[in-house]
Amino acid sequence: MTNVYIEGIGMTKFGKFVDKSMKQLLVEASIEALEDAGNPKVDAVFVGNFMGGSIGNQEILSALVANELGLGYIPTAKVEGACASGGIALRQGIIGILSGEYDTVLIAGVEKMKHASTADVTQAINAAMDNDSNEKQAGLTFPGFFGVLANRYFYETEATKEHLAMIALKNRENALNNPLAQFQKPTTMEEIMEARIITSPLGLFDCSPTTDGAAALVITRKKGAIHIRSSAQSSGPTQMQDADDLLSLPAVRESGRLAYEKAGVGPEDIDVVEIHDCFSMTEMLAIEELGFFNKREGWLAVEQGRTKATGDKPVNTSGGLLSRGHPIGATGVAQMYQLVQQLRGTAPNQVEHARLALAQNLGGTGSYSTVHILERL
Amino acid sequence: MKVYQCDQCEYASVSNKYRCPSCRTGQLQEQDVSSKGSVYSYTNIHIAPAEFAHLAPYTVALIQLDESKAKVTARTDGNVEIGDVAELDYVEDGAYIYRKC
Repeated sequence: MTNVYIEGIGMTKFGKFVDKSMKQLLVEASIEALEDAGNPKVDAVFVGNFMGGSIGNQEILSALVANELGLGYIPTAKVEGACASGGIALRQGIIGILSGEYDTVLIAGVEKMKHASTADVTQAINAAMDNDSNEKQAGLTFPGFFGVLANRYFYETEATKEHLAMIALKNRENALNNPLAQFQKPTTMEEIMEARIITSPLGLFDCSPTTDGAAALVITRKKGAIHIRSSAQSSGPTQMQDADDLLSLPAVRESGRLAYEKAGVGPEDIDVVEIHDCFSMTEMLAIEELGFFNKREGWLAVEQGRTKATGDKPVNTSGGLLSRGHPIGATGVAQMYQLVQQLRGTAPNQVEHARLALAQNLGGTGSYSTVHILERL
Repeated sequence: MKVYQCDQCEYASVSNKYRCPSCRTGQLQEQDVSSKGSVYSYTNIHIAPAEFAHLAPYTVALIQLDESKAKVTARTDGNVEIGDVAELDYVEDGAYIYRKC
């Protein structure tokens, strides 16, 4: 129990916005969240961002927000944890309130990626690998890492590329109902299966896109309708070759275990889930690591439609990273945007009577993971 | 092939660490082992970062060494399948380049 509450949410549309600066996206989402919360006095700002410096030549993001919005001379900081930057930023805000230092904190996440070439973005993302390793020098990439995992998963189970395609199709179908999602064009199993290969066996639809976008939250100690029941974070291997079990993401498993323990609930109690599906294969492993399904049996649950919006364990009703889009630093915050809507009863692909919701945000080759459990009071 | 074996527990890695990350007390000792191993898994990378774009498509494989618990991430000369036996061909810019035996 954190006794910290989410009072306001905001999010830009995700997609390609060449005419908007990173600051504009950040400020738009922040204003929406502050207005949603009734414009409270803010004591601190934490911004999740990964590559603003490397491909945008823009840092001091949190000070920009405080300054543009006239929040006063309050403390602010940018938080970097690769693709988990947003989830970790949220956690810093929660800890700040728990410490007694702050009453109300603005959390935001942003990334602007569409102006750069795929090769340059892939290169910038590779900063989340260990430079001082033979692994990076071999030419491994993040899609490559999850491609290696997928081939091993196929080898050890009866899963095939078709099961990954089912995940990609599910998330696209969910995105069709989400007006803020990047991809709103319907697709088919055939199109997904025949798409060009990125890192075998992963094709174009198995990989999250590059995206521009921002999301924001206002969290406070003042009691409200959406309670952050627990916040947890863990670390994991920074190199694939050092993994004990290639088909495990220990950071996901451990952050999930801690979040359940702190919240006093189990995976069976969770009504709706946002998972870090940077690749279809990542969603497959995460639904197992978070205890929703047995290890090596996630593919069976996918085949049975159990993770669809209409299933017994709805995963990524927003469209997920695969179809809502993945502006890296904004992703962990955007997950909360969707879950708060689910608990308010106003979400795209609304799950009936949703009371407990879980978000899991991943960074690096399983190097960081955060899990937050939300509760409707 | 050099591997780093903990002198207190079973931990082994191809990359040296400041101390054993498993038992946190042992020191890692350099050992020479055969580079021979089998392909544990792999991927063919078609879309590469700028610095490797000239090599694409290329294959990256995770090799389970025969004589150590350690695995090694390597680039391979040509396509491979899980279970293929492979050995080190040469080292280039810090990367291990393996080929099928």
